[in-house]
Amino acid sequence: MRCWLARTAERPTDAYASAPLRDTHGGGAGWLAAWRQAHKPARGAAMALAGAFDPDGEPAWASLLLLPRDARVRFDDTAVQRARQRILAEDAFDVVSTLVHDASTFAGSLVAARGDGGAARVCDDPFAVVERPEIVQVGPGLLAAHTALPAPTIERYGSSHPWPGGRFT
Amino acid sequence: MPPEPGTTFTDLALPDHNGRPRTLSGLVEGDPAVLHTFRGPWCPKEQRFFDRLLALQDEMEVAYSRMISLSVDPPEVTSALRAALGARWTFLCDPERVALERLDLRETTDTTHDPYVPAVFVLAPDLTIHARYDGYWYWGRPTVDELVRDLRAVTREIRADWAAPVPSREA
Repeated sequence: MRCWLARTAERPTDAYASAPLRDTHGGGAGWLAAWRQAHKPARGAAMALAGAFDPDGEPAWASLLLLPRDARVRFDDTAVQRARQRILAEDAFDVVSTLVHDASTFAGSLVAARGDGGAARVCDDPFAVVERPEIVQVGPGLLAAHTALPAPTIERYGSSHPWPGGRFT
Repeated sequence: MPPEPGTTFTDLALPDHNGRPRTLSGLVEGDPAVLHTFRGPWCPKEQRFFDRLLALQDEMEVAYSRMISLSVDPPEVTSALRAALGARWTFLCDPERVALERLDLRETTDTTHDPYVPAVFVLAPDLTIHARYDGYWYWGRPTVDELVRDLRAVTREIRADWAAPVPSREA
């Protein structure tokens, strides 16, 4: 089953998990939601790693990069490769998911951290080499406790599967 | 007896370099894996051997394979070593020497550090041991070429599409 992530203005009623967002000043910044279903649930939604989400998840700081569909950044772009290598090398985040539109297009990323220094860690998001991400506070109800990294693999397990996570079945 | 080729490696449950609880089966997932036990960062032989693993890392990252290093060092020491090396794989920590005893991999001649005996295991996804290299004497350790051959053999065994699919001539 595919997993989708989208930012919405209101809380979606059909999402698997969702949480309110706040900007770095504490102001409301919409909602972030994940769906587990075959079809695309909302405009602007991108495929994400299912294991990154948990409806019982605790709040976290996050760096969110949502590229427009016409950005046309390849998942195999060297900047995206380097970012994946840095994610493995530093292993500084509790939650990591790349986002994909299809088998070849990088749609963005989500990295999140909790605890002391969580905000500072997400401010050093390796995917910032691709495009400037947005730093947000993610409320309860969306992010998993931890996503396992397939160290040292930086490749996807199937062309339309987000990284990290997954396996060949 | 230390783990032998053809048998199943114990599914370890230990903290990683960040102190997070991990299992060996969870780290290996569905890929071939190299499991490396080492004395500690103080040993010149280990320092040299890490150069070899680092060279292999750059190939493993695109080859759907996993690497795990295991020592008696605690997470704070292991994390610093991993960062200093530039290693991107997972390190497991066994400061209580629980797994060391279970695996029978104690280096009995070093009563100062009481470390793991250096060894390398090449594992299939189900933790079956494909190959074991004993590194007490440095020349017992595998070369990059030997590890590539082992990983190729395991990969060939587990990937049904090892021979790339070709268009049917009958179509």
